[in-house]
Amino acid sequence: MIGYNRLRRFAPLGVAAVLALALAACAQSYPNSTFTPHSDLGRSIDFLWNRLMFFGTIVFVLVEGALIYVVIRYRRKSEDVTPPQTHGHVILEITWTLIPAAILAFIAVPTVRTIFETQAPAPANSLVINVYGHQWWWEFEYPEYKFTTANEIYIPKGRTVDLVLHAKDVIHSFWVPQLAGKRDAIPNHTNHIWFTPDSNMATTVWNGFCTEYCGDSHGEMHFRVVTVTPEQFASWVTRQQAPGFFGPPAAPPPTAIASASAAGAATTKSDSAAPAAASTAAPAAAPVAPVYGPTASPALLASYVLPHSEVPEYAIPHTPLPDAIKFDDKLTGDPAAGEKLFVGAGTCNACHSVSGNPLAVGTIGPNLTHVGSRITIAAGMYLNDKAHLSRWIKDARIMKSGVLMPTLGKGQYDPQTKATMPAGLSDQQIADLVAYLQALK
Amino acid sequence: MATSVIETIPAHLKPFVPSPIPTTVQTYGTSIWGWITTTDHKKIGALYLFTALFFFLVGGIEAEIIRAQLGGPNRHLVSAETYNQIFTMHGTTMIFLAIMPLSAAFFNFIIPLQIGARDVAFPRLNAFSYWIYLLGGLFISIPILFGHGPNAGWFGYAPLTTKAYSPGINIDFWVVGLQILGISSLAAGFNFITTIINLRAPGMSLMRMPVFTWMAFIVQFMIVLAFPVVTIALFFLLLDRFFGTQFYEVASGGDPLLWQHLFWIFGHPEVYILVLPAFGLVSEVLPTFSKKPLFGYPVMIYSGILIGFLGFGVWAHHMFAVGMGPIADSVFGVTTMLIAIPTGVKIFNWIGTIAQGQFKATSASLFAIGLVSLFTIGGISGVMHSSPPADLQQTDSYFVVAHFHYVLFGGSIMGIFAGIYFYFPKMFGRMMDEKLGKTHFWLTFIAMNLTFFPMHFSGMLGMPRRIYTYDAGQGWEAFNQTSTWGAYLLFVASLFFMYNFFKSLRSGRPAGPNPWGAGTLEWTIPSPPPPYNFAVLPNVTSRYPLWEGKQADIESARINQQSGRSAEELGIVLPYNTIKPFLAAFFLVLMFSGLIVGHWLIFASAAAMVLAFYGWLTSPLEPEHH
Repeated sequence: MIGYNRLRRFAPLGVAAVLALALAACAQSYPNSTFTPHSDLGRSIDFLWNRLMFFGTIVFVLVEGALIYVVIRYRRKSEDVTPPQTHGHVILEITWTLIPAAILAFIAVPTVRTIFETQAPAPANSLVINVYGHQWWWEFEYPEYKFTTANEIYIPKGRTVDLVLHAKDVIHSFWVPQLAGKRDAIPNHTNHIWFTPDSNMATTVWNGFCTEYCGDSHGEMHFRVVTVTPEQFASWVTRQQAPGFFGPPAAPPPTAIASASAAGAATTKSDSAAPAAASTAAPAAAPVAPVYGPTASPALLASYVLPHSEVPEYAIPHTPLPDAIKFDDKLTGDPAAGEKLFVGAGTCNACHSVSGNPLAVGTIGPNLTHVGSRITIAAGMYLNDKAHLSRWIKDARIMKSGVLMPTLGKGQYDPQTKATMPAGLSDQQIADLVAYLQALK
Repeated sequence: MATSVIETIPAHLKPFVPSPIPTTVQTYGTSIWGWITTTDHKKIGALYLFTALFFFLVGGIEAEIIRAQLGGPNRHLVSAETYNQIFTMHGTTMIFLAIMPLSAAFFNFIIPLQIGARDVAFPRLNAFSYWIYLLGGLFISIPILFGHGPNAGWFGYAPLTTKAYSPGINIDFWVVGLQILGISSLAAGFNFITTIINLRAPGMSLMRMPVFTWMAFIVQFMIVLAFPVVTIALFFLLLDRFFGTQFYEVASGGDPLLWQHLFWIFGHPEVYILVLPAFGLVSEVLPTFSKKPLFGYPVMIYSGILIGFLGFGVWAHHMFAVGMGPIADSVFGVTTMLIAIPTGVKIFNWIGTIAQGQFKATSASLFAIGLVSLFTIGGISGVMHSSPPADLQQTDSYFVVAHFHYVLFGGSIMGIFAGIYFYFPKMFGRMMDEKLGKTHFWLTFIAMNLTFFPMHFSGMLGMPRRIYTYDAGQGWEAFNQTSTWGAYLLFVASLFFMYNFFKSLRSGRPAGPNPWGAGTLEWTIPSPPPPYNFAVLPNVTSRYPLWEGKQADIESARINQQSGRSAEELGIVLPYNTIKPFLAAFFLVLMFSGLIVGHWLIFASAAAMVLAFYGWLTSPLEPEHH
């Protein structure tokens, strides 16, 4: 048949065109591409995808080609011709039943094999991370290292990570397109997804998304995954395990530890930071495990955090600031005053924890022990800087629809209660809180 | 015009067939009371058509707002809350208020004509179904105008829909509205099953039944089997929300997956409920414009039945990310792949129908070709999700949005447009403008691909579904911009259709009984058909009575196409017009609204509804036979 030969000639062209598109999709400008997997699981999926794409392209070209061919070849030229009144053809029917069945076998066999491979229990030495989906942020707990963080995880390259998924309210779904497929986080269920990030990739940040519709701000429930070397990871872990510290960096170590403590104490200005002041002697004795306080040991301060300069452009949120929230950006805050407000007038501790501070043990909102070292706030929605953080504290409910985080700024409009806050924090108080939170590196 | 008819008709009957095209066209009347009280399946079909086209426009406007918002990064044209209501109502409207009722318009209008019947089995129940649909549709659609529209997606996953996480009345409207609409679908389903089984003309065996009626038949079984499941799922939710039960409350240990399983046991068959009628329409259009019987008729029927059957065994492929375990994932993956086989067979048989035929490009046949070509793309991406590991990258991303729009727009809507262009002359006795129709087709075809094809890319490049906005620099801007331009063009294309539709309704060229030279029974009677449809009930001897018919087919066709005589003159008994189905439907919807308004309304309307049903059941359907 002429038509068949003609189609056969076109098939490779079609495959080439699709491959070209797929290659184009690998370019750096597609930071969340599923076509450039960086893990074993990602590659298993990609292998199936390529096979599906291969057969899909062949079927597409053959069917559409045949359709175009018959429409053109058998177009009506005269109203007077009655075509042969055929009713069917048994051999043809059997053929076009069996060929798709055969193609599907080529898809089904590797599919089932991959299902069983990727859903086997994770290897014994995996890094377990408990993931808790909340409306609309992510809580991450590292049970092996006994610390909790939010909206940002570091994972060591080359070590299998076993994500154990839970949800605290409604169903969410965990997706880092470049590293793995999705897995739902479901209340009253425990789910797993595990993969091994490639050991030869760069230290960088990947974007993660919630992919199960979970209410108002589903579109703003992001997270970041930082893939680091095992050494960087170990160093990062020591920081995360340590209690919060919020003073200015200590003077050059090791000779100036005492003066650093003094500087820390000086910044607190008053005896309100009594627990902090009491702890200033500790860093010298136990450099990697200071108690909560204004300063940390030099070793801890030197521990690894991905420098903001190394955060790729696509991981930096560009969400514009809402015009409705006015804030005097020229105000300078005092971390120690902020710490006082955190457990005092701000009542932040009702929902947030800062490890080491016995008064800040709330678990409703994200753990803020090292919030200052995170790239974003509000689950990847805003850049973690003064301008965004201050407005977030002032009126989070305008910043992000539906959030539990209350409107704290005095005289601010709360879109959920549809009322103006009669009392609340002044801009100076908010600036103090921002200074404190930003200092919690 | 209609040459094949003349060629296959015995010489002595030629003077009678086809009859001259009339210069005047009958209408269904303009009396509002006449429309509210009608029990005529053709008028009810027309009501379904107009209402569903209206809701199609509403769903389309919602789609345009969605696309305007996503046309660029970080746009806040509408707030997150509003966007969520809009995408929820876009899905709900298109599925329950546009595509299903558009199919129902054809079921109503075409099934009795194709099987040689004077009406459906239960004409008053038919009217009741329509009024439930209209009132239920308004019930679920109006709240969004006041900012209280349903906002948990058309799939309404628990526990997001429970009182704990959706305390407002938004979800109340959704759960009650869908419950109301389900009554309409179920009543219509039983009505059509009874009609098709009992009211076929003499000689019309099941294997002589036109393919549209066959697909409709399968769909009715799917409706009566699938809708009770979602009714139960919704009933649990309704009890949770209004009466404090704990079916889906996670705090009391409820399992959120209960909803997902129940919903998708309904939801997947629903996909075939939406697309099989379109397959049926295309299976009428392509033979007509190829002047050739449908290729592989029995295979087309069996594959339709197989699709319907397998459609109930694949629901969990919507849930590959929920962690059902390797065995369930494998089973549902493989059954999903299997469904590609009968679907592929249908596509090959349509191509086989055109092959060696005399294909004429008309608005109807172009839309039919549109279905075959676009549904193929949706089918291929469907096989891509059938592989559970691969689906973990695709599910809940824009890739899936691309997929099901190729199935539902490329499949259902293209097929329905083919059906509208094809059956408009039969329904209203006038031809639609072919030039405008073809413009509509080409604009729609281009715009549709422009809108939905880029979504394959944005999805595989990491864009999740149902997000009200997205950040810049994620690599999605260009694809989303293209989609948005496509959506705007799609709206322009629809304007061509609307203009053509209303212009032709008023002043289209009179059509005559069989303007396309088609072969099935509905083309043996005047356009629009008289209230009694067939002056004499036909005696059917073949699948295409006008093409392959024997003496008996031709004789009844010759009599039936003569118009002008009234039912009384012919001694045909027709059902009375009655307001009771409307009243029963009205009070039923009012009764359900009592859940939101106040319990007193439930009891008051229930009493009124019972009275309406009592009056309905104790009054005769039609005058006594002489």
